[in-house]
Amino acid sequence: MSTASERPRGRLLTASALIGPATIFVAASLLAPLAILFRYSLNGFEKTTKTMTEAVTAANYVQFFTDPYYTAALATTVEIALLSTATCLVLGFPLAYVVARTQSRFKHLLIIGIVLPLFVGNAVRAAGWMVVFGNKGFVNTGLEWLGLIAKPLEIMFTEKAVIIGIVAVNLPFMVLSLQSVIESIDRAVEEAAFSLGAPPLTMFRRVLWPLALPGILSGTILTFILAMNAYATPYLLGGPLFKMMAPLVYNQFTQQSNWPFGGAIAFILMAVTLSLTVVANLLIQRRAVR
Amino acid sequence: MARLDIESLSKRYGDFHAVREVSLQVADGEFLVLLGPSGCGKTTTLRMVAGFIEPTAGRVKLGGREVTLLPPWKRNAGMVFQSYALFPHLTVAQNVAFGLEMRKVPRAEIGKRVEEALALVRLGGLGGRLPRQLSGGQQQRVALARALAIRPDVLLLDEPLSNLDAKLRQEVRVEIRELQQKLGLTAVMVTHDQEEALTMADRLVVMSDGAVRQVGTQRDLYERPANRFVADFVGRSTFFEGEVEAPGRFRTDGGLALACVGGTPGRGALALRPERVGIAAAPQSGLDNSLPGTVEFISYLGALIDIHVRLSPADRLIVHVANRDGAFVPEVGQPVHVGWPAAAAQVFNE
Repeated sequence: MSTASERPRGRLLTASALIGPATIFVAASLLAPLAILFRYSLNGFEKTTKTMTEAVTAANYVQFFTDPYYTAALATTVEIALLSTATCLVLGFPLAYVVARTQSRFKHLLIIGIVLPLFVGNAVRAAGWMVVFGNKGFVNTGLEWLGLIAKPLEIMFTEKAVIIGIVAVNLPFMVLSLQSVIESIDRAVEEAAFSLGAPPLTMFRRVLWPLALPGILSGTILTFILAMNAYATPYLLGGPLFKMMAPLVYNQFTQQSNWPFGGAIAFILMAVTLSLTVVANLLIQRRAVR
Repeated sequence: MARLDIESLSKRYGDFHAVREVSLQVADGEFLVLLGPSGCGKTTTLRMVAGFIEPTAGRVKLGGREVTLLPPWKRNAGMVFQSYALFPHLTVAQNVAFGLEMRKVPRAEIGKRVEEALALVRLGGLGGRLPRQLSGGQQQRVALARALAIRPDVLLLDEPLSNLDAKLRQEVRVEIRELQQKLGLTAVMVTHDQEEALTMADRLVVMSDGAVRQVGTQRDLYERPANRFVADFVGRSTFFEGEVEAPGRFRTDGGLALACVGGTPGRGALALRPERVGIAAAPQSGLDNSLPGTVEFISYLGALIDIHVRLSPADRLIVHVANRDGAFVPEVGQPVHVGWPAAAAQVFNE
């Protein structure tokens, strides 16, 4: 009888021993710095001496939202994140479907092929894109040689280049999220829809899309968050005049040494990312329930 | 409902012949069952009729209309899948309504026809449930209602009972058969379970290695198997390997001389159904074949008792005795006599 009552406590101890280290690590490495950063974002900053002054003020947040320079950067960031996420979804779904449904024995090679881009760091990859997109780059010289264009296309240092760059980084995450969910959908369910008279597009809209929704949600959330926080890609492919939030934060911390304002921007970025994600989630889930 | 004609249908994957020149006619209102071991091509044949697999050669006609190259959504064939394949995100009623919506049936009529279909499978009142809230047997009936609601030209059933437990399977197969007869449905079912096939079919098609081995009624297949494969696959048989010495005379490899009917001289096998063999303690008179042997193995199957009798070092015979009062049931090791008329056995030349 005594062992029966002791066993749950023993299990509880084992469980906490197993999840404890990770929890403590996350708390120490994520929550604590965040708390400190948030406290900093309420401090003041002396521009002439470049020093932080102790205060509790919302001035940094007010400055951000009243200066069109910064609000434009936020708008650009959201726009780029939305566009690149949508592109990832449109490009990723067919790819994920093929990988999920293939019976080929080279399936694992396909998956490795999709993950392969992640083996190259963002900065290295962006540098590669610079070579490809530049005025004397691979794309322009190729098109010129073919006689399709008279003067080089402006790709480098435009929104296009940044979106292409971010999509290239994020696509594997989207594909893997979708693939695992599509794999769990019984192939016969699609065939049932066909046999009941649904052409492929209707089948997709009525059956595949709603059943893949969990994967679509996790994939879009993941790629959206990554895109919102992209640093190397916009910095290298967007050029010095292209403003997104993550490079802005970096700039405030390193170039200006303005930790309070940098902290404020970081928190605004986080809050916007989070609330957009939650809102999108709620919208999609409500539609799914209906 | 309509008749279904399959003409020289073939499917090749590279060098592998999944289906070879299968030709079948299914009459309006007929229940045809494709029976065979796994990998025999029965499912591929069914899927070509449904439109999920494009044939390499041959034609499929549904109600006289050629549908060979039509996609499944233009065929009007109702399919019941082994996994049921219900739409997990839709309610039972929405599942059944799906095909009607695709056919642009007016809203009001959809409601009526969904109710009809659910009532047909005795699931009235469960329309609001989600598939995962139903038992396996109920899910199976939803799948059936969904396929029937579209009033298909042909009902296709792909191992529809294999996910049910044994008891339920017996009930559902009677239920499906009664429904099929009541509605006059043209139906094609695929199964590897011969008892299921025998209970449900008007006619059966035995397949192996992608080809049709025999088409016929239960009685045809059981009593007049066209070849050794069918004799072996449908029901049980003892096969004596040996040689036809002359028409009517068969010598087993174990040296037994047996009387049979017909046969061309040469290597062959003699097949004998276990229930056609008499077994007794003493020699039996008036039978063409009467042989002594020793009981080696007995298993009690309830309605039947399965007795294995050693006739020679190379020959062992299976005898089924009905479990009745006064039935002769020997013991293992007991010497016995077995006998059967020549016409009870069938000879297959190699």
